[in-house]
Amino acid sequence: MIDIKNVNKFYGQGDSSFHVLHDINLSISEGEFVSIMGQSGSGKSTLINIIGFLDDEFKGEYFYYNHPIHEYTRTQFSKLRNQNVGFVFQNFKLINTLTVADNVGLPLLYAGEKRKAIKEQVKDVLEAVGLPDASEKKPTNLSGGQQQRVSIARAIVTNPQFLIADEPTGALDSKTSREIMTLFKELNQKNKTTIIMVTHDEKVALQSERIIQILDGRILSDKKVNA
Amino acid sequence: MLFIELLKTSWQSLRVNPKRSFLTMIGIVIGIAAVITIIALGNGVKAKILKELQATNTGKQTTEINYYPNDSTAATQGFSENDLEQIRSNFSATLSAVKFKRDTKNISNTVTMGNDNRTATLSLVKGANQHYDISTGHNITKSDNEVNNQVALLNKKLAIKEYGTEENALGSALSVGDNTYKIVGIFTKASDDYNVDFLLPQKTYLYSTAAQNGSTIKLTFNKGVKVSNASKKIVSFLKKNGSSRKAGSYEYTDMGSLLSGISKVISSLTYFISAIAGISLFIAGIGVMNMMYISVSERTQEIGIRLAVGASGRSIMLQFLLEAIMLTVFGGLLGFLIGWGTAALISLALPFKAIVTFGSFLLAFGVSSLVGIVFGLLPAKQAANKNLIDILR
Repeated sequence: MIDIKNVNKFYGQGDSSFHVLHDINLSISEGEFVSIMGQSGSGKSTLINIIGFLDDEFKGEYFYYNHPIHEYTRTQFSKLRNQNVGFVFQNFKLINTLTVADNVGLPLLYAGEKRKAIKEQVKDVLEAVGLPDASEKKPTNLSGGQQQRVSIARAIVTNPQFLIADEPTGALDSKTSREIMTLFKELNQKNKTTIIMVTHDEKVALQSERIIQILDGRILSDKKVNA
Repeated sequence: MLFIELLKTSWQSLRVNPKRSFLTMIGIVIGIAAVITIIALGNGVKAKILKELQATNTGKQTTEINYYPNDSTAATQGFSENDLEQIRSNFSATLSAVKFKRDTKNISNTVTMGNDNRTATLSLVKGANQHYDISTGHNITKSDNEVNNQVALLNKKLAIKEYGTEENALGSALSVGDNTYKIVGIFTKASDDYNVDFLLPQKTYLYSTAAQNGSTIKLTFNKGVKVSNASKKIVSFLKKNGSSRKAGSYEYTDMGSLLSGISKVISSLTYFISAIAGISLFIAGIGVMNMMYISVSERTQEIGIRLAVGASGRSIMLQFLLEAIMLTVFGGLLGFLIGWGTAALISLALPFKAIVTFGSFLLAFGVSSLVGIVFGLLPAKQAANKNLIDILR
């Protein structure tokens, strides 16, 4: 599904430019649950930003279902993001002025649907993440774990090809972390959703199927987790 | 994203901060209200002037031509029936009617009372009215007027001066032109136009041949005729061919140019106040721009999230642009209503009504949308061009 070839990424320009990613080669197939591990500053977030179509300024080639993403325009990126990928962030990234239901429905609105038409979908997906009664609440009135569930609901509402989770448990206590991980595993096994997760928590990473270690912008190791 | 959903999104965002949204609108409200007020009052003045200066209800314009004799004691009144016929036949294309302007009040005329010729003032009545009282004899009745009875009322002061007592005056004869009237009553306590020497029945007086002349004629023009030019031509025609051209002069008041002159003054006043309101709208627009810039930088996270879940730069730009336009359009509509109310209130103290037209509404709507677009575009563009990676990091 995802084929990355010789991707390099620089921050800044000229003499002060900083080489973040060095010749990354990576393939991910459908249905995989991949963890990307590394120290802070190792470039793991940069890598998933590229994988998740958030960052279109990189050197190298990126084939998504054999489409050359590196040749796409910014507008095409928006559409690609909207239809193919769901994001779960460490600090949830919910819009606090909107209700939970509006937050979850946001990707569908940008897909061109009407508010009335998406109510059922939003309700279903909130039930799936275990928050059937939260739809009219504001995110700030929910606990961290609940907020993360909302953001997962928002990520899966469009039935995306894959999920990008950037430190999804980073701001949660261990009990809530376990619950969120259970939810991820469920999504992966039941719905066959591909999940790409960044974490620096070994315990969390061990619950996935494949761990990729990154150090200083280079892939250090890439191995299956032994069940 | 569907446009209607974008609209709802913008509306939602504005409602998050109602106080700030309202304060931002105030500048627009005041600017538009000022413009609408002055335009409504200007329209009112124009309509009032048109109504005052145009005699006919159908919108046809009229002009009066006056004759001024060189010698004020001259017997001629200036216009004869013959003059009118000539004007009718020579200017039939432009004129729909030519008439004597009949004075019915305060007419000066030569009368014969007893054996004396004298110049007296007289007013015409159609029957009894409350502007005077009868002290002796009886009043002129409606039927006197209808059947052309040659009766007259004499002023009490003149009666006592000429006849000694009121009773002596009753029954004496009064000649006006070719007609002789019988004095049937003495009137007193007359006011305004009725404080004259004699009162005569209107129809009887106008029917007499002596009234077949006049010092003023009234021209009614066909629609679309340039009144100033046509009047000028008729006056110069009269100067060559008029029956009394050697004994006096013909003059007319150019209502048309008077009218357009006043209209011009009002128009330029409207432009002047609109210009001041324009400055206020400009400043209000900058206020909107400022608020939008603040809003964009405050809501950087929101913009990032929207972009991450698949919003295109275009829909982000439209969202913020629509917020600005909504602010200014609501301000504009509010200003329109306030302006309307203010104009109506002011016109209570003035002798004319404020007139708000659909055009004024369109102006308020158009100007406020324009302000929103012009001053909302840059902040909206900035919102759309934000770097997603920088926001999410």
